[in-house]
Amino acid sequence: MLKSKALLLSLAATVMVASPVLASDTLKVGVQAPITGSYANEGQGIDQSVRLLADQINAKGGVLGKKIEVVTCDDEGTAMKAAICAKDLVNKKVSMVIGSYTSTCAEAAQATYYRAGVLQTSDGTSDTLTEHGYWTFFRNSFPNSAEAEFAANYMVKEKAYKNIAILSDFSSYADGLATAVQDAVKKLGGNVVAREKIKAGSQNFTPVLTQMKSKKPDVIFFAGYYSDGGLIRSQQVALGIKADFIGGDANDNVDFVKLAGNAATGAYIINVPTPELLPYDLAKDFLKAYKAKYNMMPPSIWTILNVDGMRAFIHGIEATKSFDTKKVAEYLHTLKDYPGITGPISFAADGNRVGSGYMTYEIQKDGSYKIVFK
Amino acid sequence: MDTFLQQLVNGLTIGSMFALIALGYTMVYGVMKLINFAHGDLVAGSAFVGLFVFSQLLGGEVSLPVVIGVFLLTIVAISLLGFTVERLAYRPLRTAPRLSAVVSALGASMVIQNGIMLLWGPQMQIFPELIPSVIWEVGGVVISLMQVLIMALSTLLMVGLYFFVEKTKIGTAIRASAIDQDAARLMGINVNNIIVTIFLIGSSLGAVGGLFIGLYYRGITFNMGWQYGLYAFVAAIIGGIGNIPGAMLGGLLLGLFKAFIAGYVSSTWADAFTFILLIVILIVRPTGILGERVAEKV
Repeated sequence: MLKSKALLLSLAATVMVASPVLASDTLKVGVQAPITGSYANEGQGIDQSVRLLADQINAKGGVLGKKIEVVTCDDEGTAMKAAICAKDLVNKKVSMVIGSYTSTCAEAAQATYYRAGVLQTSDGTSDTLTEHGYWTFFRNSFPNSAEAEFAANYMVKEKAYKNIAILSDFSSYADGLATAVQDAVKKLGGNVVAREKIKAGSQNFTPVLTQMKSKKPDVIFFAGYYSDGGLIRSQQVALGIKADFIGGDANDNVDFVKLAGNAATGAYIINVPTPELLPYDLAKDFLKAYKAKYNMMPPSIWTILNVDGMRAFIHGIEATKSFDTKKVAEYLHTLKDYPGITGPISFAADGNRVGSGYMTYEIQKDGSYKIVFK
Repeated sequence: MDTFLQQLVNGLTIGSMFALIALGYTMVYGVMKLINFAHGDLVAGSAFVGLFVFSQLLGGEVSLPVVIGVFLLTIVAISLLGFTVERLAYRPLRTAPRLSAVVSALGASMVIQNGIMLLWGPQMQIFPELIPSVIWEVGGVVISLMQVLIMALSTLLMVGLYFFVEKTKIGTAIRASAIDQDAARLMGINVNNIIVTIFLIGSSLGAVGGLFIGLYYRGITFNMGWQYGLYAFVAAIIGGIGNIPGAMLGGLLLGLFKAFIAGYVSSTWADAFTFILLIVILIVRPTGILGERVAEKV
């Protein structure tokens, strides 16, 4: 008798401990980002800045009286892991997800968030991200098509390159951007002499560069990520290919300059303004807080764009006075000029961020950026 | 023609690196009949140790003595690591079934890989530019000082190893142990010492390979050992595993094959074709190009 009583008691205790903390206590914010893998420093930047923003909001009393709780899932920059992360975060009952860094990972997770009614914001620039018609998805950066037009105009009109070579990897972002650039160049009457693809992370790009060299390009446009871009630039110079190098937006990362080494000097990168160049007070304050907390600068603008996505979500909750994601999304789809760290935030009905502000930077000897065209 | 010659130079450069790493696999297999899966991770570890030695121990300024110091200290550190792996992961299993040793090898590989991740973090690290970027253009073919150094040093090491194994007393003992360990023991050879020797030599060559990878490719990640290990392993099999000149030949052939496939077919398909080549060679010549057909001991 005594034994069964004890059993009952312990059972009851287990149930009490195991029962989930009431869902309404906190606002759960998911981070889906590549914390490890090739894009680790971007993923860590996103995670760190989301946590910083959460701390700042919690210090002011939270969102409608609820504290923010950050739940991070490492998608390693792979689509397979991204899909697992999406399920995991949905199971943990997050109401919004920040990420991921790559379009591929954002896209692999999109449908899961859509079905669960979880808001998602990503810096992925692939045009396909907003083509599925998911009301849950908001892009906090600007799409490839805008960048492609800017890049084509720069290469064909401004620099008047005769022979343009385009290189990309196979990810949905990079391939999409390269194809868009190719189309835009052709539309402006430019001459594309080569369109090659590389396998991201394969490190040895000399064979494909050698092949390109025989086509005598004046410029190599690389759509892809910094971890490959830096190596491509350094191997291009080592092979004596005297073409200019223009990297697409994802080459904008401190590691590009480190990887390319001395070869980085003179390379061009096309992107929206870097964090240091943002003129807004909000940006200066956030960067100062980031530096104070982590003793480093954010790895790139992508970190900050994701923070803006999250700020827009929080603003949506506060403006609608509701945690109902459907209502918040409806409000956000008409959001206009909400002051953001990266400039005014407006969303179109398909979840695209409205506006763009691309620039061309030239990398200087000391590794800093100089604006050469905007 | 220019393009062909350029791909030839590119292929020989990466081929020499593959060959250096492949030697580690083939020497261990030759004597112990064991695939040392941890070898690729020793190679990756070498790049990280080199980075540490350069930036933390030797002050981070490039000069000839410093570069030589980086190579020597890294080789010593990695051969000690190879020695430790043999002591802890393989020696206790000397008489155990072969499968146990293979599992132990995989375990050692994971321990080293995760060890690198814990020490240096999961993100890509940048290897310093130890060799000045000097390039020469000879009749349309561009060759860099780095490529010359990689090819020259690899050739030197491989020729040295060949003569060591063929002409010295220890080399003879290594070959004897490879043929029949029991008979070698009866002839007064301490097989355990021979195994330690091949681990030290194999790890040292792998260490040089790892430093070359760092120098040539710049970006190093904790899990890259798997990729390079796999290529080198394929190279060893193509040449005939257990056969030292075979590993050298296999490495060079694989490097050239990859460069030409990437150059003339598609860089995306380079890996697929590499493994198709492996399958074809295993079907046509299961013992590899230079491997001898050995009657199965019953």
